[in-house]
Amino acid sequence: MSGVVNILIASVGGQGGLTLSRIIAEASVIQGLSVRTGETLGMAQRFGSVLSFVRVGERVLSPIFGRGEADYLLGLELVETLRAVGYLRNSGLAIAADEYKPPVSSSLRPAPAWSKDSVARALREVLGDRLHFIPARRLAVKAGSHRAINAVLLGVLNASAQLFTHRVVEEAISRVLHGKAVEISVKAYYEGFNLYKESVGEGCRGG
Amino acid sequence: MGNEAIARGAFEAGVRVVTGYPGTPSSEVIMTFHEEGRGLPIYVEWAVNERVAFEIAYGAALAGVRALVTMKAPGLNVASDPIVSAAYSGVEGGLVVLVADDPGPHTTQTEQDSRWYAKLAKLPMFTASTPAEVKDTVKKLFRLSEELKLPVILRTTTRLNHAVGEVVLGEVEVLNPEPSFRKDPPRFVRAGMRWNLERHIWLDNVLARVEEAASKLSFNSAEGGGDHCVVTEGVAFNYVKESLGWIKDIDVRVIKVDQIYPPPKAFLRRHLAECRRVLVVEELDPYLESEVKKIAFEEGLKLEVAGKEEGLLPLEGELNPALVREALSKWVNINVGGKPTKLYEATVPERPPPLCPGCPHTFSYLALKLGIARAGFKLSEVPIFGDIGCYALSVNKPIEAIWTEHSMGASISMAMGLKIAGYDKPVVATIGDSTFFHAGIPALIEAVHKRVDLLVLILDNRVVAMTGHQSTPAWEVTESGRTARRVEIVDVVKSIGVDEVVVVDPYELDKMAGAVATLIRRPGVKVIVARHPCRLMEVKGLKTTRKFRVLEDKCTGCRACVNVTGCPALYFEGGKVRILGDDCTGCGLCARFCPYNAIVEEDGG
Repeated sequence: MSGVVNILIASVGGQGGLTLSRIIAEASVIQGLSVRTGETLGMAQRFGSVLSFVRVGERVLSPIFGRGEADYLLGLELVETLRAVGYLRNSGLAIAADEYKPPVSSSLRPAPAWSKDSVARALREVLGDRLHFIPARRLAVKAGSHRAINAVLLGVLNASAQLFTHRVVEEAISRVLHGKAVEISVKAYYEGFNLYKESVGEGCRGG
Repeated sequence: MGNEAIARGAFEAGVRVVTGYPGTPSSEVIMTFHEEGRGLPIYVEWAVNERVAFEIAYGAALAGVRALVTMKAPGLNVASDPIVSAAYSGVEGGLVVLVADDPGPHTTQTEQDSRWYAKLAKLPMFTASTPAEVKDTVKKLFRLSEELKLPVILRTTTRLNHAVGEVVLGEVEVLNPEPSFRKDPPRFVRAGMRWNLERHIWLDNVLARVEEAASKLSFNSAEGGGDHCVVTEGVAFNYVKESLGWIKDIDVRVIKVDQIYPPPKAFLRRHLAECRRVLVVEELDPYLESEVKKIAFEEGLKLEVAGKEEGLLPLEGELNPALVREALSKWVNINVGGKPTKLYEATVPERPPPLCPGCPHTFSYLALKLGIARAGFKLSEVPIFGDIGCYALSVNKPIEAIWTEHSMGASISMAMGLKIAGYDKPVVATIGDSTFFHAGIPALIEAVHKRVDLLVLILDNRVVAMTGHQSTPAWEVTESGRTARRVEIVDVVKSIGVDEVVVVDPYELDKMAGAVATLIRRPGVKVIVARHPCRLMEVKGLKTTRKFRVLEDKCTGCRACVNVTGCPALYFEGGKVRILGDDCTGCGLCARFCPYNAIVEEDGG
């Protein structure tokens, strides 16, 4: 591959955004690519906004990138996906799970109440056909657990970006996760991968 | 991760003692040892605070073994007293002090630039740019520390500590030092003023040797040519390198400084002599910039130096690749980075970090507010002093409890200060268990001794929660598997001689509110230990948790539940409140505040 692929993962703390960034980093290393991820851990780890920057390429140095520089935006939650759209390039692609966890502030009186529909609509308005809206929870549950939503998005990402072979992804998942979660996440990865393949009709990189 | 690489570097260097106090972004160094290093003959434990941690590591280094101590920037302030003295006494075994600064700031009360500490303490300080590099830097610093017989500081920033990147593992050094300690009062007793003067002279002589000793270990580097020079360090080096990919017409020399203090003068002199224009790119203060200007002045170099003082880069906040590209564009007067892309924009509700679903701190602060009201006071006249930890998140809507959050342990002493200033309404201090052990005990002694009227809530969730659930002195077995002696907060508080101490479970909201209402009116120092484990820890140990659901026909959409509790497992949509089943921990607090009994426990939950 030439150049560097910039991936931004937007999530709510506790959803597995950091795990997803770690799996992509691990896969990059196994694939023999250079990788950097940048994120802030600690405060707001749980239920706060979490942005993970992932950069994969032949030679990567900086762990973060600027607004308008993401090739892919992986959104594990709709409000956070919308918050992060400013990071997407004009040619960039957003892969958004249909998860809705609005912040407390938007539920308090008398703040204007947002709804899942209004956030999804806003995303479609901003991104148009650059948005892939993924029934990630349904696919993750089919694979064994709602906790594997992140792996569903990884499947969609890899089907689109063709960064890693399946074998590499499976190996990366087994290095980062433990126990039953490995099998579930691998299944969820294929659910996401096949969903994209079926909808777009492109082949994969094999493996 | 950078922190994992630091741990690996210390492991490869044969470290024997590792300690520190949890603090983002430094915590994962010790956590990595705990996860990966079980069974190794290495002492790896959290200490009660950073100064104690440093002193433990320092004592070990006196015995000739290698020691590592880790902390975030404010932790260095806490440890500064013994660190400054350690420069005079020196070490035998290598001692590396990791301090992690936090430009941004992401998780720290200030954007402290700890590089100034090296100057103040007169201790060598180094940095690195990538996870792979920092692993080797740690190994080199142990060697350097032993050669100089001085503690050495490794200064990092968040984007190195938490950056993940490929790292190549190296061999583990096999060292079998025989721990020993030779009596040498002139060296180790800082009570002799003549000795102190002699040791100061010794220290200055050692500092004069740092650059030469470090250069043998290959620190600092320069690449490229020409008279346009970028001087940079740490994480900023990455941004510079990537930005320079855009500049084709001008040769730019990149001067990478790894040795922060003392500045590598010979190295800088050699390269700056070739330069005409210099751009300094560094996180936080214009530290390196002032060193470059000083050298230019001393050498009589005609340099045009630009950086933060000239406004090319901001003095506040964190650098990023775009800011560095922009500064380079201005500096070389070439548009670096191509056409600006049109940015998508969207307005989104804010997500300030909340207290977690079922958090005992939510209960404690609600009980405190209820108790204050029950005692006949207005919430606006009873200041609640906060401290450092998760419970500081109670500042956000809707709980809006704490009035201050300052530094470790400051809740009690600041509350005391307000009281002795003559504030005539009750004053409350709230402090977490680990923060109390860290710095609250001396403050409580002070308040008791001076007989101040004060209500202190110790929010005892049995863990250092905010930084990722590390141990406190109340644990009977630490993360390393070490059998420990439990230090009981109630015993500590009683032994200090407080007027009253009550232990309550904040989940018993009424009981706790009652205790607040009673104690807040009484004279003297009253302590309520609000004891309930961090809910995230607690639910891990439970086989099942209760689940709650909303009866749609009964919910009027009044939002009393979410307006009182601020629970992130609740949200409002379509005129009704809904519960996120994945996140609900079954505490039942929302149900309690529903005036219509519309929130009920699920059957069989």
